[in-house]
Amino acid sequence: MLEIKNLHVAVGGKEILKGLTLAIEAGQVHAIMGPNGSGKSTLSYVLAGRAGYEITQGSITYRGEDLNALAPEERAAKGVFLAMQYPVEIPGVTTLNFLKTALNAQRRARGESDLDAMSVLKLVRKKAATLKVSEEMLKRALNVGFSGGEKKRLEILQMELFEPRLAILDETDSGLDIDALKLVAEGVNSLRSPERAMLVITHYQRLLDYIVPDRIHVLAHGKIVAEGGKELAHELEAKGYEHIVGKAA
Amino acid sequence: MNATAATRLTDALSLHAATGAAWLDTRRADAAKLFRDRGVPHRRIENWKYTDLKTALDSANDAGESDIRCAVASLPDGVELFDLADLAHAPQWVQAHFGKAALSDAMPAASLLLARAGFALHVPKNLTASKPLRFSFEGSGHARALIVLEEGASLDLIESRPAGRGFSNVGMEIVIGPNARLTHVRMADAAPDAIQVEDVAVRVARDGAYTARLSNGGASLSRLNLRLTLKEKGAHAELSGVSVLGGKLHADVTTEIYHASGETHSTQLFKHVVGGHGRAVYQGKITVAEGADKSDSRQTAKALLLGERAEADLKPELEIFADDVKCAHGAAVGDLDADSLFYLRARGIAESEARNMLIRAFLEEVVAEIADETVRALVWQSVEDALPRAMAS
Repeated sequence: MLEIKNLHVAVGGKEILKGLTLAIEAGQVHAIMGPNGSGKSTLSYVLAGRAGYEITQGSITYRGEDLNALAPEERAAKGVFLAMQYPVEIPGVTTLNFLKTALNAQRRARGESDLDAMSVLKLVRKKAATLKVSEEMLKRALNVGFSGGEKKRLEILQMELFEPRLAILDETDSGLDIDALKLVAEGVNSLRSPERAMLVITHYQRLLDYIVPDRIHVLAHGKIVAEGGKELAHELEAKGYEHIVGKAA
Repeated sequence: MNATAATRLTDALSLHAATGAAWLDTRRADAAKLFRDRGVPHRRIENWKYTDLKTALDSANDAGESDIRCAVASLPDGVELFDLADLAHAPQWVQAHFGKAALSDAMPAASLLLARAGFALHVPKNLTASKPLRFSFEGSGHARALIVLEEGASLDLIESRPAGRGFSNVGMEIVIGPNARLTHVRMADAAPDAIQVEDVAVRVARDGAYTARLSNGGASLSRLNLRLTLKEKGAHAELSGVSVLGGKLHADVTTEIYHASGETHSTQLFKHVVGGHGRAVYQGKITVAEGADKSDSRQTAKALLLGERAEADLKPELEIFADDVKCAHGAAVGDLDADSLFYLRARGIAESEARNMLIRAFLEEVVAEIADETVRALVWQSVEDALPRAMAS
């Protein structure tokens, strides 16, 4: 599904990722853990296609295609979804209208027909109920006045709505209390499927108690410095990043 | 030798004839003196720094003919209409107010002297007009309007300015009695071949309210002056507007709000979207007089620049002579927010559509303030009409 080889990425002339290699198969959930400043968010942005993140070396192949050649909207239409760490507030665009516009834009790009307002509303309502996203939130401007937890729940709602092939969750656990965390994890787990791959990026092991990954990669100084099964999370939690990162260096 | 438009204007002013109505001739003589002293405004006058009317008139060739017409449609029952062509026979309510607010600046003084067209409206005490009154000024030349709302009266005005050509100078006076309310919607089409100046002077009595909703497509040069006096306790003003400019269009909205008494309130929200070589100007001056305690005034102006050659000049200004007042103002000029653009694109929305959404969202905040659904749709349509030109850059 996703193959990243020797990826070097510079932001504003400064190299952040320094030879990252990673592969995820369909049906798998991988986690990337790492301390602050290790390059976690850079990886998520470069996968989603944000401007200003320059690939200086290496490659990202997504379903046999060079991901870097695609605009952000093309990646989305081809099934790449990034649940953002800091969802943006956009006054003047209502949440429901945004969801409809985005969903239909993706459908159109795939050659599918638009869904009418009523069908979108039905679809959204179904997902919204389990994620405790209120009708009132859907009518408000996108993310405006939402709490941290509400913003993250809306990210997961979008993930469920767009049904991506590759979902990247960037620090989705940050700012969530335990109830919200469970809700979000349930949403993610319900999307696990043999056709879908997920990349969960997090600083803490806590989220991985609820979204149990097939594989964990430890990112430090722009590289993967350690890899292992789900038990690696507990080792990191017990001994700290210094221990692993230091050993690798 | 060709006389320039500016010198023709000055010449015309020196030739104005007496009307025979003493009340009017006195006011006109004062206006003539004022114009002689000040002349056509130019960029070295602080208040006209971004809008050089003199240079624009000097370089315009066809600004001399006067064919200005005013059309008043859908007069609501009970509202009295008077044609200003017949000023010598003006009723008392016209005599009481007409031209009194023309002496604050050269251009309203000029329109008082040279107006060839105009109308006056009178809304009697406690009358709530059953429907909006629509009017328009079209063509070039000088015109005036007077609108008087007696105590407890209520009226919605919808003013439209079709594109047209040449130089027009409109002076309006609005007198809002105690507890009366006026909503003034003004929609100006993009007018690349026109120089448009409009001065609106508003006086609001105790517990009266004036609301302005503006949509501005710009002109070769366009200047709208809104000068408000919140005269008595409880007087209230709410101004909001959008300018959407492209090509080489210019739009200047200059507001002056004078809080003359305590417990007066004003809010202002102006947004500008500028593309191409367009230029948006907003100058907003708020003065809170000595003793006008517990006044509250808020002012926000923002501009979105869509191209490197687009320009916006936003100049908020506060003068406070009272002690216990609340005043807040803010101004910001910027590009489309990169984070928002990326967020929308990452959700599959193509860049052009995402830009579209964000530009409309920026303007939507202002238009959404219009309570009446029909009027809101009308104003939004005028925004839509102006957007392609702004986004063409």
